[in-house]
Amino acid sequence: MTASEQASPATGTEQLSVLVEDVHVNFRVYKDNDASLREFVRRGMRRAVDVHALKGVSIEIGVGESVGIVGSNGSGKSTLLRAIAGVQPLSNGKVFVRGEAHLLGVGAALKPLLSGRRNILLGGLAMGMTRSEIEAKLHEVVEFAGLEESINLPLNTYSVGMRSRLAFAIATLRVADVLLVDEALAVGDQAFRERSLARLRSLRDEAGAVVLVTHNLVEIRQSCSRAIWLEQGEIRADGDVGEVLDEYSPTSA
Amino acid sequence: MPATRVTDPGLVDAHANSQLGPYLRGLWKRRSYGWYVAESDLRQRQITTIFGSLWHLLNPLLSIAVYFLVFGLILKTDRGVDGKGGFLLFLTVGLFVFQYTQRAVTQGAISIVANRGLIQAIRFPRALLPLSATLTETFAALPSFIVVYVVAITTGTTPTWSWLALPGIVAWQMLFNFGAAMIAARVTTHFRDMQQLLPFVFRLLIYASGVFFSIENYVSDGWMTVLFILNPMYAFIAMARWATMGMDMPAEAVFAAIVWTAVALVGGFLWFKSAEHAYDRV
Ligand SMILES: Nc1ncnc2c1ncn2[C@@H]1O[C@H](COP(=O)(O)OP(=O)(O)O)[C@@H](O)[C@H]1O
Ligand SMILES: [Mg+2]
Repeated sequence: MTASEQASPATGTEQLSVLVEDVHVNFRVYKDNDASLREFVRRGMRRAVDVHALKGVSIEIGVGESVGIVGSNGSGKSTLLRAIAGVQPLSNGKVFVRGEAHLLGVGAALKPLLSGRRNILLGGLAMGMTRSEIEAKLHEVVEFAGLEESINLPLNTYSVGMRSRLAFAIATLRVADVLLVDEALAVGDQAFRERSLARLRSLRDEAGAVVLVTHNLVEIRQSCSRAIWLEQGEIRADGDVGEVLDEYSPTSA
Repeated sequence: MPATRVTDPGLVDAHANSQLGPYLRGLWKRRSYGWYVAESDLRQRQITTIFGSLWHLLNPLLSIAVYFLVFGLILKTDRGVDGKGGFLLFLTVGLFVFQYTQRAVTQGAISIVANRGLIQAIRFPRALLPLSATLTETFAALPSFIVVYVVAITTGTTPTWSWLALPGIVAWQMLFNFGAAMIAARVTTHFRDMQQLLPFVFRLLIYASGVFFSIENYVSDGWMTVLFILNPMYAFIAMARWATMGMDMPAEAVFAAIVWTAVALVGGFLWFKSAEHAYDRV
């Protein structure tokens, strides 16, 4: 971590928004080797293997910062975001957040048989908003997500792109203090992507912090000042967005 | 460790176990989620079936017809049933009280697993899920409790003041059901096979609850009677039969219902809450 990120409480301007301290996450998974039934019985029903998804990750994110996270598939990016959101049990370490963190992922399908509108209401109510607070914002978020036509259709009629826009609508019902975006923009069309990037930037300016996971390096260059490269559950590089991305993908610049 | 930073009061541990007070306040704040889920789920069930909301009435009527045929007319287990309204009302009350708990606990058991998407996206007190399942099943059960009054009137029972106690008994049962739903939710999270086992548990329980026969006339052994009376389902059924049929209500049944409700609600809640983070792993 670079010295410039050290918070200086005296000035009050560089308060921390997120503090991740030596976080480890282990998953216990059960291997299915496609063995024959006899093999299956002989070796016991289930064999557990530990997957060490995060191996001691430490990050400090200041208020107003916008951080892009890159790394290959399975490097632990989604696990890290869930850990920050507080919905991923940790094997070790601590996570501190200023205010409330909202996680915005692709798969946030709530109730597939219910309409988009009902899903937005359910999401908002689960976040602790009142029904009138949600209804006051409903029109705006639906319009932003471009879902006016299909908002009364059941969620299982939505395309993947539409679902991710609905997830975006739910997560932006309320200004989150920390917004965690996990490849949620990747499936949207170009126009929606640009609008939501603009929205993320304005959110960051409202003094929140944004953490963005995406394979689109241009998006990270456009909207983040800092990048973190995660590989096999460890931080490979952390610093200025240009430097980290050049190292991560020398051909992308 | 940079302990100095953590003294910043604005930085809150994202994985801390909620204290009891904030947890309950968070639950209370989200109570309209429960109402809205109940409304949405019931509407959903209506849209996907041809008879729609009629099923909420048809289903209980059909199950009474089946059980009345088997137990009343073929096996004649109705001997010794002496309350007002006869065996039909006896069966109706017993069946509906039993099914209300069975449905609430079954839905409560899958409430965590069925809401993975929500759990992985939003942090909220997870007891909200068994609570919503209990509320949904309470609304779904209301028509069948109206059927109880209809059967009582059509079998020629004269209304008494004690009829007004039935809604109170159902509300009391709801508290027990919420507790039992939390216990079932936690068991199912650790032990997914519970989902497959629950139907058998309830099938065994229905015979031990005196739904189809009067326990006093079938069980003479003192030991066995005690076991029946300690069964929470029997306790709620006995109270509901007292309210609608004027049958004797054993004091032990009331006592058992009080103790079971307290244990399920308080114990179930604390036990459920103590695994709060385990539900994130489903
Ligand atoms: N729920 C889970 N159960 C078991 N293993 C998991 C689970 N989620 C993630 N993993 C494993 O943890 C590692 C990191 O996954 P993930 O955080 O999704 O990576 P990324 O988002 O960077 O592609 C992978 O090896 C993955 O298989
Ligand atoms: Mg991922």
